[in-house]
Amino acid sequence: MAKIQKKTKASTEIPNASMSDIAFLLLIFFMVSTVFVKEKGLDVVLPKAMEIEKIPRSHSATIYVDRSNTISIDDLAVEIPQIYGIMLKKKELDFNLIACFRTDKKTTYGYMADIMKQLRDADVLRVSFEAKLGS
Amino acid sequence: MKLGRKRKNMGGIPTASMSDVAFLLLIFFLTTTKFDIKKGLGLVLPPASQQSESTKKVKIDDKNITKIQISNEGLVMVNKEQIPIAELESMIRKIVKSNADMVISLKSDRMSAYENMVIVLDKLQAAGAEKISLSTN
Repeated sequence: MAKIQKKTKASTEIPNASMSDIAFLLLIFFMVSTVFVKEKGLDVVLPKAMEIEKIPRSHSATIYVDRSNTISIDDLAVEIPQIYGIMLKKKELDFNLIACFRTDKKTTYGYMADIMKQLRDADVLRVSFEAKLGS
Repeated sequence: MKLGRKRKNMGGIPTASMSDVAFLLLIFFLTTTKFDIKKGLGLVLPPASQQSESTKKVKIDDKNITKIQISNEGLVMVNKEQIPIAELESMIRKIVKSNADMVISLKSDRMSAYENMVIVLDKLQAAGAEKISLSTN
């Protein structure tokens, strides 16, 4: 007597039981990695460079300088002589402070040299010039 | 006598819309997230002159210094000789290879655009120069 095989019906539906697990996993990833920008800063066009490296966010203090030579630190417009005091305070809080320049490419270099003089006086010697990747 | 039908109260939080909520939040974070990674050219400035009084000043021999100047118009001069920006990297690479102690002094005109300094600094770092000093005219 021939043996009758039981037909197995293949399921054609995509299992979606783990859909919420995936969603929650992605949600947690984005919640953890999201950094809400604290400062607005100034509108600048960054210069381009090839040899750029990552700047550790935790130790950086951003100095914005736009093309009209306006300086902004922590969303406050400052004058050159004030930079010394501000950076000195920041250096006290973080010994490994990096002054991160977010300067417009059309800014005159003399202005930057004056700011760097203030940084040297405040003993903030590690600087970084923010740039976009490109040549 | 009319008997009321007792309704069984289910004591649970409905979880059917849980994935909807999760996706809604997910889309919110997906659209608002901005990976703000800072990237730039790093440099260590020399200490201020008052501080360096206590430390011993190091005199550098003239043959160990390469002077690069950037003019007002953005022209680049290496040891008072004007060179095109495209040739700067290969030239500095040769200089640094021949003398490991070579200090590159980058002097920029005060009226020169900041962009010019960044371009030259980028070329210097690409050429492997490690001892770079910044100054102004």
